[in-house]
Amino acid sequence: MRRMSLRIVVIVLIVALAWALQPARAADVKLTLWRLKTYIPPADKILDTTIQDCAKKIGAEVQIQTYTFDDMWTKYTAAIESKTLPDIAEFDAVGPARLANLGRLSDVSDLVGIVTRELGELAQNAEGAVKFGGKFYAVPHYSNALLLFYRKDLLEKVGAQPPDTWEAINEISVKIKKAGILDYPQGFPWNRTGDGYDPAMSLLWSYGAAWVDKSGKYIGMPKDKAVQAIKVATAPYLTDKTAALDYLSWSGSGNNEAFMAGKVAFTPNGPSILFQEDSTKHPLRKDTAIKIMPNGPAGRNLALTFVMNWGVPVDGKNQKEARAVVACIMSKEKFTAYMTGSFQQAVPLFRNLLNNDYWNNADGKVIVETVKLGRPVGWPGPTTPAAAEVISSNVLTDMMTRVIVDKVTPEKAVDEANQRIKEIYDRLPVK
Amino acid sequence: MGQGPVSGAGGGAAGPRQSPLVLARSTDAAPRARGLAWHRVNRVQERLLAYALILPVALLIAGLIAYPFFNAIWLSLTEKMVGYPAHFVGLKNYVTLWDSARFRIVAWNSVVYTVGSIGAKVVIGLAMAAALQKAVRGTQFLRGFLLLPWVIPTVVIALTWRWLLDLYRGLVNVSLLDLGIIKAGFHWLGNPDLAMLSVIIANVWRGFPFFGVSFLAAMQTVPQDLYDAASVDGASAWQQFWRISLPSIKGVVAIVTLLSTIWTLNDFNIVYIMTRGGPGAATHIFATYSYELGIQSQRWGMAMAASMYSLPVIALLIVFVVRYLHRDEVAS
Repeated sequence: MRRMSLRIVVIVLIVALAWALQPARAADVKLTLWRLKTYIPPADKILDTTIQDCAKKIGAEVQIQTYTFDDMWTKYTAAIESKTLPDIAEFDAVGPARLANLGRLSDVSDLVGIVTRELGELAQNAEGAVKFGGKFYAVPHYSNALLLFYRKDLLEKVGAQPPDTWEAINEISVKIKKAGILDYPQGFPWNRTGDGYDPAMSLLWSYGAAWVDKSGKYIGMPKDKAVQAIKVATAPYLTDKTAALDYLSWSGSGNNEAFMAGKVAFTPNGPSILFQEDSTKHPLRKDTAIKIMPNGPAGRNLALTFVMNWGVPVDGKNQKEARAVVACIMSKEKFTAYMTGSFQQAVPLFRNLLNNDYWNNADGKVIVETVKLGRPVGWPGPTTPAAAEVISSNVLTDMMTRVIVDKVTPEKAVDEANQRIKEIYDRLPVK
Repeated sequence: MGQGPVSGAGGGAAGPRQSPLVLARSTDAAPRARGLAWHRVNRVQERLLAYALILPVALLIAGLIAYPFFNAIWLSLTEKMVGYPAHFVGLKNYVTLWDSARFRIVAWNSVVYTVGSIGAKVVIGLAMAAALQKAVRGTQFLRGFLLLPWVIPTVVIALTWRWLLDLYRGLVNVSLLDLGIIKAGFHWLGNPDLAMLSVIIANVWRGFPFFGVSFLAAMQTVPQDLYDAASVDGASAWQQFWRISLPSIKGVVAIVTLLSTIWTLNDFNIVYIMTRGGPGAATHIFATYSYELGIQSQRWGMAMAASMYSLPVIALLIVFVVRYLHRDEVAS
């Protein structure tokens, strides 16, 4: 009996020793990847398949977790503090600046080099959000263009051409209202969603009301220019009455729904409305058109805010494998499959794919042109944690709603906003 | 131990003779001393056991309540950005918030939201309880049915109310328009005053069943004799409610109101989902403002300070509740 027990113990020990001494199996590498859940489920599915394929190729397992725009920073905030960032993280436009400044992202300049060789040069306007101190801290994944959606049938009814300026949008909205077609045709919500702060930046910059210089140093919004921009933004709510106060409370999908319900003639949005109308064979699809966001006295300075980037946090224990997966996702074959299955949501930020036939159609050309004209958050300087906070603390849209809701003068609203922005820049110097 | 006196008593020859009383005392003292010692050991053991049994709960309370609470107070006294180390700044965050016009709007909104919600919930809850007390048929079903808003997840309630109050597709506006009561839809969530009213309505809808059921339970403990006597004396239903029901349940009214005030002051979901604090800052309350500061702007120190501003009010309310409960206990 005792001999039997001894044998069992010896066998168990041998098996345990053999298991401990075996060469590390590839499947032992387990990666975590966090990505954005977009409004285009088929594109998300392609991306997930790509990620799994890439992980398999290097013999790793990858666990994908998703977040929406609303809970992205809740998730990242907890992970930053608890030092549990994933191996691979998809960030928004301001994520790389915030985390690189904290020293929490690996230098991925080599990866950008690899991707550049295959996909072509990185667009200059995408660099500001991922390159700091001469090093890349994230690989740009794609950009989702902010477009002006309009109803071409309604414009025809009032004899108007597609608008190219902010004032033109206001004028056509008045015409539509006066013609009794729609009560509140102008759907620009100056609220705490991307549909609020993205156009707010584009509007202010197009009127020359940037708050930093080219080095990213705070200079304050020029009062006269910012006031001019605010007046254009608030007139539909206050004097023209072409925008409903209710639009200020829209969620991220509120303007999509209102546009597709035929309640507004203009609204800013990414291409997801086209996808939704196409996939539901929506009756308004034939009357839906897109245009580059409006021009202003200082040019067409569109905010390139919806840019997603791949980062490799330093918390990860499998840096080599994480980099290999990112390189694979961004390979020409994989990225092209994703891009062409994205319903024009994923605009590449590397030159070669911008010339792909996929974009060679009316909508595609507008979308690509929009991204080419985009300016990074914090323009004309680079994207910095301070610039990120100006957006995340809703300073710009608060400035608009102070005038619309609280009835303060545009001048006072600009002063208040400048004061808040200055406080942010004083508090968040760039390392 | 204890052998001496016994052997002394038995041996006798060597020691002086003791009286029978003394002998009896000394023979009693030995087991008593043994008993006392045993008792003492037992008490220590019991105490140790008690501490051991309490320890897990104490650790849980320390880890899940005390640590976060004191850590929050500490953070509110620091300049703490997410990912950066905290630097002690004393009361600077509190002073900054106090000087901020925006924060004062938030504080005022919190008061309006809380007082408006609680006031309406008390009135509706009392009406519900009074009605259900009189109901003869289907009381049980009605009670269960009216509890529905209380058991539905808050997220669902907020999203439903958001849809109900939508300018174009909302059931409220569509109904009012179809009935010809209004010519243009109300901007429920866009007009600053209506937006506050809207979030209060949603909060009241979610919370009134708790008030109603609690009040009803209390009303049912009031002796029927009192109502019968009042009826004989010619008291109307209102007089019976005002003079008998209400004074009899005032303790429950106070406790339910105070508890709900604490919950409402800390409410987040309804406002965040329905308006995100907008339009502008018209419905921004402590919780949504703290979220904006802490998560979106990554300013934890400031966010904690904003939350802490409601602490004195909540602490006072907790003291009231505890004292009230204690008074009830003593009285009973």
